[in-house]
Amino acid sequence: MAAASSRPALSITLRLGGMRPWVAPVLLAAALVLLPFVGNEFLAYQIGLFLLYGVAAQGVALCWGRLGFLPLGHALFFGLGAYLSGGILKAAQADAVWYLLLPLAALAPAVLAWAVARLVFARSYHSGPYFSLITLALTMLGFLAANRFSSLTGGFNGMTEIPELPGLDRYGAMYWAVAALALVSTTGLTVMLRRPIGTLWSAISQNEDRLQFFGFATDRMKALAFGLSALCAAAAGVLFAPHQGIVTPQTVGFLLSTELVIWAAVGGKASPFGALLGAVLVGYASSELRDNFAYWEVVVAIAFMAVVRFLPDGIAGFVTRLLNRGPATSAQISAPVEAAPAIFPASRSSRAELAFDDVYSGASGIAIINGLSLKLSGPGVRCLIGPNGAGKTSTFNTLTGRLPSQSGSIQFADQKVGRWAAWRVARLGIGRKFQIPSVFSQLDVRDNLAIALWANRLHGLQSLSNRPKQWQTPLLQELLNLFPALRNSLDIPAGRLSQGDRQALEFVMMALPEPRLMLLDEPCAGLSPGETQRMMDAIKTVAQRLDAAALVIEHDMSAVERIADHVYVMHQGRLLAEGSLAQVQANEKVRAVYAGGHK
Amino acid sequence: MMDSATVLTGLNLGYALCTLALTTLGLAIVFGLLGVMNMAHGEFVMLGAYAVVVVQKLGLPLPAAVPLAIAICGALGWAVERWLIRPLYARPFDTLLATWGLSILLRNLVEAIFGKGYQNVQSSAAAPMAFLGTSYPAYRLFLMALTVVLMLALVLWYRRSNAGLKVRAMTGNPTLARALGIDTGKLATRAFVMGVVLAGLAGVLLAPIVRVEPAMGVDYLLNAFFVLVVGGLGSLAGLTSGVGLIGGTQAGISSLIDQTAGYAAVLVLSILFLWLRPQGLYGRR
Repeated sequence: MAAASSRPALSITLRLGGMRPWVAPVLLAAALVLLPFVGNEFLAYQIGLFLLYGVAAQGVALCWGRLGFLPLGHALFFGLGAYLSGGILKAAQADAVWYLLLPLAALAPAVLAWAVARLVFARSYHSGPYFSLITLALTMLGFLAANRFSSLTGGFNGMTEIPELPGLDRYGAMYWAVAALALVSTTGLTVMLRRPIGTLWSAISQNEDRLQFFGFATDRMKALAFGLSALCAAAAGVLFAPHQGIVTPQTVGFLLSTELVIWAAVGGKASPFGALLGAVLVGYASSELRDNFAYWEVVVAIAFMAVVRFLPDGIAGFVTRLLNRGPATSAQISAPVEAAPAIFPASRSSRAELAFDDVYSGASGIAIINGLSLKLSGPGVRCLIGPNGAGKTSTFNTLTGRLPSQSGSIQFADQKVGRWAAWRVARLGIGRKFQIPSVFSQLDVRDNLAIALWANRLHGLQSLSNRPKQWQTPLLQELLNLFPALRNSLDIPAGRLSQGDRQALEFVMMALPEPRLMLLDEPCAGLSPGETQRMMDAIKTVAQRLDAAALVIEHDMSAVERIADHVYVMHQGRLLAEGSLAQVQANEKVRAVYAGGHK
Repeated sequence: MMDSATVLTGLNLGYALCTLALTTLGLAIVFGLLGVMNMAHGEFVMLGAYAVVVVQKLGLPLPAAVPLAIAICGALGWAVERWLIRPLYARPFDTLLATWGLSILLRNLVEAIFGKGYQNVQSSAAAPMAFLGTSYPAYRLFLMALTVVLMLALVLWYRRSNAGLKVRAMTGNPTLARALGIDTGKLATRAFVMGVVLAGLAGVLLAPIVRVEPAMGVDYLLNAFFVLVVGGLGSLAGLTSGVGLIGGTQAGISSLIDQTAGYAAVLVLSILFLWLRPQGLYGRR
């Protein structure tokens, strides 16, 4: 890092990622302003249509390129906005009060989208391709409805004779409204992507589970993002109606939905600029060439397939990669620092009191946890041992909402958490570290640490502010001193760290939200003796510093001896024995299990 | 004795369900077993139908379309699996989009060659024969019988044959299957080719009785997806119950209200399943 940071400033300005944030929007604004003068007003009118489509495609790109789920029916929200706007503008001819309702034409489809996503993701938070098919089916329903309810929509022929917005001539001044929308959405989305919420969105697409274990309600975050992306589409639709003067069922249909996806893909699904450019370039070229060149659509289809196969981030991603050649540099070396706020009260005030009472759990008819009763009270490090298949990791899973308990009760800090979602358990102050370290592999170490610091601290609106990126806590500094390798790799993607450093990173991340109970699943797996020693010290240090309890799954008895005063032994899904290590080692039943004797 | 109107209604329903099943079989393999969301499934059906058009234009007897469709869909399927899908197996969204691109490509290619309009397929498919006290087009009866035979053959292949066992091993645990010496790459290619060839054959069989046009595939694709989603993947019980539910709903609501309402009901049903029971009627998760 030292070498990278001392590189000349030139390499920094060449990086798009590190480029001054205002450069790109200013370039876009200049291009939009120049267009009617370089070309003519009619060209501006034609391009205006594809700018609107481009804003809708930005919505698709937000969900797909950032959050990792693909909406296949975004035309529904575009068309809904257009129909509502058309209806309101027609009504406003008679009574100008109707103009006041125009914002609702953009908001209502967004709320609908949010509600749909909220319901679907609440049921299964990583709904994946099934969510895509649902959006596809919805847009087809919309198409049927638009054809069917012809008294409202004009049916097959569409809603016609939609008046212009007052004072905005369709072929003249209307362009400026369209350009303003494109500029606002592009800038707005770009700014959001640089804020904590943008980092969290990327984190969702990379490792949604990990975020849940940090206490982030990812299903709700995805629903909100889907609502926002629908807002983009609907706002574009609201301007589409007066811009075109007609809204047909095609605007809510399957075909436009597919085109939005294609434009976002070809332009670049990871960047708002890419999606906008994709719509304008491909869309405009298609409209010009479609009728003159029979094989044009074939060419577009081949280009689309090639992009999906070879250029996952489209043209924008390709250009960015060209510009970014050369070593990564850190733009945040001298970033100011501010003390992170205290963690949420619910987590701060809970006591480390855990009780499993006769818990049963299993999958496909096989009992994994089979009448487990276990009590843990007050701070300190304990170990959980037992032969393979004893149900140690499953115990963690039932506690953190990954394996629902079928009977019995699990209490933590006076709350029955047996069937809670992972994020709710995490908010109570339970941190979890996995046997195979689970980090956000494409985000750099700095962002990984930041996300962990935000866990149980970040309130909704703060995620739009830049300041949480500068948060620090004394614990973070202390842990970075314990693991200096992390301090030296702050700008490296977490996926490139060695196994040992990744274990260290995940442990540090687990500790940053200051949990009351730490669940550590073989934290020393794959570590060298030296690293093991350091990890053991770190566990003890953190438990003391936070006055927290730790439950460590460990196979290495010398390690157990070093850190734990109290040991639980599990066998066949229940507790076999507990006590000091010497006590359990003397226990006949434990010896039988470990020596492979009778059961 | 049943009156002929009841028999006719029953036959029509059976026919509707059988064509639905016929066009779903191919996707049942590609999506159900390989997990590839093949958005170009309907276009392979369309290619099969156009094979009939080509054969007819050349003045050959219609059955000559069968080897032609097998050759075209097989070669295309092999190339597509090899170059487009295999590199994307781990990326479900990208597979979906790549095959989507393929569907647009095929549709527009056919449109550029044959034109946008309907193709006329001359056949004696409408010729009726006496059946259970009523008269019904012989070709439809043949189609229904063939569909049932095909489904049974597919199930026997899947449950009893060596290749079926290997496929089941592969879908259950691909890594272990590879470790046991099963060439999963080759197996997946074969299964994919088999799936798209079945789709093409469905197109050949349906060509005489449906409208043949470049955009005909979309409906087959979506209905097939919905059948598999509702019924669950990888079982005959799932496939038949999916066909029954989707086809029955569509036919029932269509006769009660109208076609649009029938289709809307299918969409609503599918959304409910995707939302509340994505593993399907019989699936476990």
